[in-house]
Order: sequence, then C-alpha cells, then structure tokens
Amino acid sequence: MRVTIDTEKCVSSGQCALTAPEVFSQRESDGVGVVLDEEPAPEHHDLVRQSEMYCPAAAIQLQDT
Amino acid sequence: MTAIENAAPRLPFDRGNALEIAPLYAELRGRAPVTRVLTPAGDPAWLVTSYEHVREVFRDNRFGRSHPAPEQASRISYAALLAGPSGNHDTEEREHKRMRRVLAPAFSAPRMRALGDHIKTLTDGCLDAMQAAHDAHPGEPVDLTELLAFPLPVLVICELLGVPFADRAHFRQLSERIALLDGRDDSERAMHEFMAYMSGLAEAKRHDPQPDVISDLVAVQADDPTFTNEDLARLAAGLLFAGHETTSTRIALGTLFLLSDLRRRDRFVADPDGQVDRTVEELLRLSATSNTGGLLRYAHQDVEIGGVRIGRGDAVLVATDAANRDTSVFSDPDEFDPDRSPNVHVAFGHGAHVCIGANLARTELRTVFPALFRRFPAMRLAVGIGDIAVRRNRLAGGVESVPVLL
Repeated sequence: MRVTIDTEKCVSSGQCALTAPEVFSQRESDGVGVVLDEEPAPEHHDLVRQSEMYCPAAAIQLQDT
Repeated sequence: MTAIENAAPRLPFDRGNALEIAPLYAELRGRAPVTRVLTPAGDPAWLVTSYEHVREVFRDNRFGRSHPAPEQASRISYAALLAGPSGNHDTEEREHKRMRRVLAPAFSAPRMRALGDHIKTLTDGCLDAMQAAHDAHPGEPVDLTELLAFPLPVLVICELLGVPFADRAHFRQLSERIALLDGRDDSERAMHEFMAYMSGLAEAKRHDPQPDVISDLVAVQADDPTFTNEDLARLAAGLLFAGHETTSTRIALGTLFLLSDLRRRDRFVADPDGQVDRTVEELLRLSATSNTGGLLRYAHQDVEIGGVRIGRGDAVLVATDAANRDTSVFSDPDEFDPDRSPNVHVAFGHGAHVCIGANLARTELRTVFPALFRRFPAMRLAVGIGDIAVRRNRLAGGVESVPVLL
C-alpha cells in the first residue's frame, strides 16, 4: 500500500491524524495533513483505509503496491 | 393534492422526544432530496435531507455562507448567530481557507492527543462534583448537565482559547441569548456584549500574548490589517459558543442514549475502552441538535441539484441530522448500534467547512463516556425519556437537564 495526501484538497481536519497516528500527522504551521509512513506495514492498513473513507475532503489516495 | 399538502412546512419540525428526529424529515426525503420549507423566521429556503445531496452541497463551492445581496437574503431566525449571511461574497472562499489554516494547528490531532490526560483530569473533577452532590442528598437525582455536560467542555475550550473560566456565568448567559431563535433585539445586544468581552481579552493578549487561540488571532491581525477587531471579536465569540454548546449537547444526549435502554448501558460498562470509539461515532450520528433544519448556505450561482433548480441567492439548509438517518446509507437508521461500521456520518459536516473542532470533540467524548460509566456503572435516569424537555427555541437544541440517579 502506498499512501499520499493531496495537500491542495486537504482542509486540515486532522481526521486521519486522529485515526491513524502512526501513519498521518499534521503540519504545525497550518494543520495540513502529512504522511509519516508512505508504505505502512500491514497492521496499519485497516486504520489507513478508514482514514481514507472518513476524510471529509477526499484528500487521501491509496494505491496497491 | 390540497393546498395544505402543497404548502412548504415551517421549521422547527415537531419531534417525539430528545432522542428522535422529526418524522417529517424522512417524509420530505421520500418526496425529493431537496424540498421547499419555511425557516423559523418564515422565509423560504431549500431543505436538503438526503445523505448524497447533503455531501454534494457541502463539497460544492457554489454554495457559501455569504450572499450576493445580503439585504435580500432569506432570514433563518431572529437569533444573533447563523441567522443570515456572513462574510464578503467576493472574498469568502479565500478568507475562509486562510482563517482555517490559522486555526487548524490549535485543534490538530497531535495537540488534542497531548491534551487527553488533562481532559481526563478535568473530567474526574466533574465526576467528583457529581458524587459530592449525590452524597449531600443521597437518593436525590443529580443534574448531569449542570455538573458535567456544561462545565467540562467549557473548561477545555476556555483553556484552548485563553478565556478565564471564572467568567463562565457571564458568557453562558450571553451564549444563551445570542442563540434564542426569537431573541431579536436582545440577541443582538447580547452579541455586542459578547464581542466587547472578546475584544477586551484580545486587547490584553495584544500586550501579553499567551499560547492560546485568541493570541493566535491577534497575531494574524499584525500581518493583515483587513482582519478587523470586529472580525476577530465575532470569530472568537463564535468559537467560544461552538466550543462548548455543541459538545455539551452531545454529552447530554449521549448519556440519554446510553441510559434510555439499560442494556446499552450494561453493554458499554462491560468494556468501555473497547467500545468507546464506535459508540461515540454512533452517538454523534444519532444526536440530532438542529432546530433550524441544518447548516446554512446561500447559492452563489444558479445550481441544479437533486432535480431542483436552486436560484442564485437562495437559502439552503443542509440537514445533517436527516442525512445521518438516511436509509439508503444506514441500515435501521433510527436504531442505536454501537457496532455500526462503517459509520461515515456527517455530524461534523463535510468538505471545506467541516467542523474545525471535530478532533477536540472526539477527544472529549472518548474521554468522558468511559470515565463516567466506570465511576457510576449503575447510573440511571431519574425520569422517563419523554419527560426530558427539548429546548425548541434554541439554535443548537439540546435539553434542559439530565437528572440521573447514581
């Protein structure tokens, strides 16, 4: 799994960073989402998929690797 | 069809009790996803009740909070908040995005997580007060609203914004007056007092900045003279109002959901930590608060949506409470199901305007329910659910009190 965030679409809700803190965080300057681990280990995949589904801005993209 | 059936229904709609939503929402959705209604002020508006179209309106930047000709805009109520257009039609989107990025760091997930232990300590203090009230009059009901649902979110938002908790009686009555749907002149007077109060706090922080949101806003002013003292005061008042009113209501309604059927309580008590995340999402989905139909938007252009043509300048009420019970998305939508997954509700809105305090609210709610039910596992309601008075004349709804026996 490869994880990316479209920072133009991101609305700084932080939903992903609350759901999957091992994989996502937020920039201190403006709250925009950042990916901490672009190829997370399988044990994080469920929470990453949940973050993608719940993202209020549809800003998270997941690709199979 | 008779003239009566044809007439646009007027908000707020009647509902059975604090845990239900008005059946008219589902009835309207059955007719069409977007229908004509009259606002509590009696003006025409479009009500969006389907999940799909609610999300569509939230995502569509042709809908905004400002109005091309504000003096002609439909009025929603005679409260001083969310009653009509706000912001400048030409610059709204840019301004909103900028302000969001200023405010977002203070409500970010890492900061909220760091705040978690402190919220737990504050919660324990509220639970001690509940125990003390019980011990003072054993066997008598304790008001959970007064001792937990109100003070806890106020304590937290006061610290984040930099507002003295000692002033709570003052801003509590201001918050109540600005949100009265028929408040009229008194709501406006209260809003001015509220803004004056916030301006005073901002002035103090201008000379002595603190690590809080009002100081962040003051810092924005240094770079941008177009962000006036009035803008700052209005925004800060809105944040203080939203920061406690909404979460207070969710704590009160959430407790009612868990206590109105003791099997729900007992199930939650058996494993609070394991169930809290999904339980909180289900409580957010079901706790219906709006008395004005939903969140307010105005069309910035003619828009075709859900089979109707919404004209430029028309008011649109986005009914999240109704969308969260749309049968096309949620099976048995009126049932409380703490296992529901996925549960992609729109309690915090959706899109660019999604609630900036969502992480804060989730952190508070995920802290408060396990702590509450661990401390008082046998807690029950002192009255029937039908006897809990719903505040029908208030913007954010909610209930007057939640009397419980510990």
